[in-house]
Amino acid sequence: MNSKLSYDIIGLGLFGAVILFGVPAFFSYDGFELNTFARYLSLAIVSMALALSWGTAGLLNLGQAATFGMGSYAMAMHLKLKASGDNLPDFMGWNNVEALPALWVPFNSLTFTLLAGLLIPAAVGGLIATFMFRARIAGVFVAVITLAFLVAFQLLVIEQQGFTGGQNGLTGLAQLELFGWTVDIYATSFYYLVGGCLMAALIFGLYLTHSKFGLVLRAIREDAERTRYFGYNVANYQTLIFCISAGLAGLAGMLYALVLEFASPTYMSVSFSLAIVIWCAVGGRESVLAAAMGAILVNLAEGRLSDVFVEGWHMMLGVLFVAVVMFMPRGIYGVIVDAGRALRRRGGSEEFAETPSFDTPLNTKQES
Amino acid sequence: MDVVLNQIFAGLSFASILLIIALGLAIIYGTMGVINLAHGEFVMLGAYATWALQTHLGLGVVTALPLVFLAVAVVGWVIEKVIVQRLYTRPLDTILATWGIGIILQQAVRMGIGAESKFVKGPEWLSGNIEIGALVMSNYRIFVIFLSIMIVTGTWLLMTRTEFGMKLRAVIQNRGISECYGVEAKKVYSLTFAYGAGLAGIAGALITPLFSTIPTMGTGLVVDAFLVVIVGGLGSLVGTAAAAMLIGEVTALFSIVINDTLGRIAVLAGIILLIRFRPRGLFPADTRR
Repeated sequence: MNSKLSYDIIGLGLFGAVILFGVPAFFSYDGFELNTFARYLSLAIVSMALALSWGTAGLLNLGQAATFGMGSYAMAMHLKLKASGDNLPDFMGWNNVEALPALWVPFNSLTFTLLAGLLIPAAVGGLIATFMFRARIAGVFVAVITLAFLVAFQLLVIEQQGFTGGQNGLTGLAQLELFGWTVDIYATSFYYLVGGCLMAALIFGLYLTHSKFGLVLRAIREDAERTRYFGYNVANYQTLIFCISAGLAGLAGMLYALVLEFASPTYMSVSFSLAIVIWCAVGGRESVLAAAMGAILVNLAEGRLSDVFVEGWHMMLGVLFVAVVMFMPRGIYGVIVDAGRALRRRGGSEEFAETPSFDTPLNTKQES
Repeated sequence: MDVVLNQIFAGLSFASILLIIALGLAIIYGTMGVINLAHGEFVMLGAYATWALQTHLGLGVVTALPLVFLAVAVVGWVIEKVIVQRLYTRPLDTILATWGIGIILQQAVRMGIGAESKFVKGPEWLSGNIEIGALVMSNYRIFVIFLSIMIVTGTWLLMTRTEFGMKLRAVIQNRGISECYGVEAKKVYSLTFAYGAGLAGIAGALITPLFSTIPTMGTGLVVDAFLVVIVGGLGSLVGTAAAAMLIGEVTALFSIVINDTLGRIAVLAGIILLIRFRPRGLFPADTRR
C-alpha cells in the first residue's frame, strides 16, 4: 500500500511539473494554445471526478454531465447578469420574461455563485444517491437511473427557455472578476488558475483514495454485501462519494464555462456524458491521476486529429474505445501496472502478482 | 374527446414500434445480461437498408422486411462473434463497448451514405385512413400495430414451442448446467443476439415512412426502449409488452395534458421512481437468478 502511495505521489509530481511548467514552456506562453489546453484541464477534472465514483466505488454514473452542466450554468448565470448590467439578460426579453426570476437573483453575488457551482451539483448528486442507494440499487440500474436523470434534466433546461436560454444556452458573457483580478482567458494566469484547480482536485482525490474511506469504497466495489456484513453503512459511503464526485464535476463545469465563454445544453447531452466515460476508461478508472491524463490525451488527440480527419475522427474514437474496453479493461493505467509487475517478477522477486482473471466462473452473470 | 382518442391511437402505434425494438433488447439483455447500447444503431441500419432496397431495387417497405431482418441480423451476428462474446463476464463493460460500436456504425453510415435525411415512401396499398367517428386511423399505423402483435406472438412461440427456444430458456436459467447437457451456449448466444438485432432492423424498416431517416435516429429510441425493458422486468415477454404500451400511451397522453417535453420528463421521472421501488420491473420473471 505504501509503495503504491509513493508511486502516486511521484506520478502526481511529474504530472504537475508537466502541466504547470512543461506545457506553458512548450507553447512558449502562447495565449491561444494555453487557452485550448486549459479546456482540456477542466475536462480532466470531470474525468477524475468520475474515476472517484466509478473506478473507486464501482458506481457507473452516466449522468456526470448533468452536474457538470449545473456548474457551468451557475458560472454563466453570474457572468450573464454582469454583462447585462441593470437590464434583464437579453434572451429573457425575447421570451417575454419581465422581471428577473427569483432563481437568478442570488447569482448577482460572486461568493454565492462560486459556492453554488460546487454545492448545488453536490446536493443534487447527494439527493439522487440517497434515493438510489437507500434502496440498494446497484450495477446496471445505477447507470440507467443516472442516464434517465440526465436526459430529463437536459430536456428541462432546453424547455425552460425564459430561465436558461433554451437551446442557445447562455452567451455573451462578461469577464469574471475574482478579488479585483479580471480574468482574461488568454492570459497565462488563467491557465494557472485552471491548472491549480486540477492539481488541487487531484491531491484531494488521491488523499481520498488512499484514506480509509477509499479503502472502504474499494471494498464496496468488490463486494457490497460483504462490506455491509462488516458493519459499514454502504449507502452512506456511496452517497458521500457521489456528492464529492458531483461537486468536482460542478467545479469542472464552472471552469469550462469560463474557458469557452458560454454555457450550452450540449454540455448535458448523453454523448458528452459518455465521452467523459471514455476519457476515464482510456486513462484508467482505478486511478484519479490516470483518468485525468486520459481526458487530456483523448482531447489532445481529438484537437489534433479532428482537423485532419474531419469525418473520420468519430470513427477512430469509437474504434479506440471498443479496443480499450476489450483489450485494456483497466485503461493505460492497467497496462503500466501490469508491465511494472512483470518487470518486478523478472527481477527475481518472489511476489506472485494476482493478475485479475476475466474468464472467471459462469455464474458471474449474477452481478448484472 | 376526439383529441384524446387520436392521441391514444398515436400512442398505440408508437408503442408497437417501441415494443419491437424493446423486444430485441429484452431478449439480448435477458439472455446474456448485455446492455446493448448499439441497438438504436441497429434500428438505424434497418431504416437505411429499407431505403437502399427501395431506391436501388424498387422494393416496398413491406416486401423488404424479411431482407432487412436478415441483413441486420447478420450484422448483429458478426458483432456478437467479434466483440460482445468476449465481454460476457463483464456486464458493465458491455454498455461501453456497445456504445462504441454504436458510434462506429453511425459514423460509417454518415461517411458512406451521407448525413442528410433520406426519404422512404410508405406502401401504396396501405395509404388512406379508416375513420370511426372523429377517430382517424391511418392504415399503415394499423398495419404496424398488427405486425408488432404478430412479432410478439412469434417470439413467444419461438421461445416456448421450439427446440431453440428450449435451449435458450435453459441457458438463461443456468448456463453451466445447460452446457453439461450439451447445449452450445455460445451458439445460442450468437443466434439470440442476431435475432434481437434483426428485430431492431424490422422496427427500423417500419418507422421509415413515419420518421425521417438520419444517422442519429436510433439514439433517442434506444433510451426509450431500454427503459421499457427495465420497467417490464427482465426476461419477461408479457412485461415488455405491457411496459411498451404503458410508456407509449403515457407519453402520448401526457403530451396533450402538459406538452411534449414536459410529458417526456414526467415519464422519465416516473420510470426513475419505478426502478427505485420495483427494481426488478413490473413483471419480474422468476427464471433469472
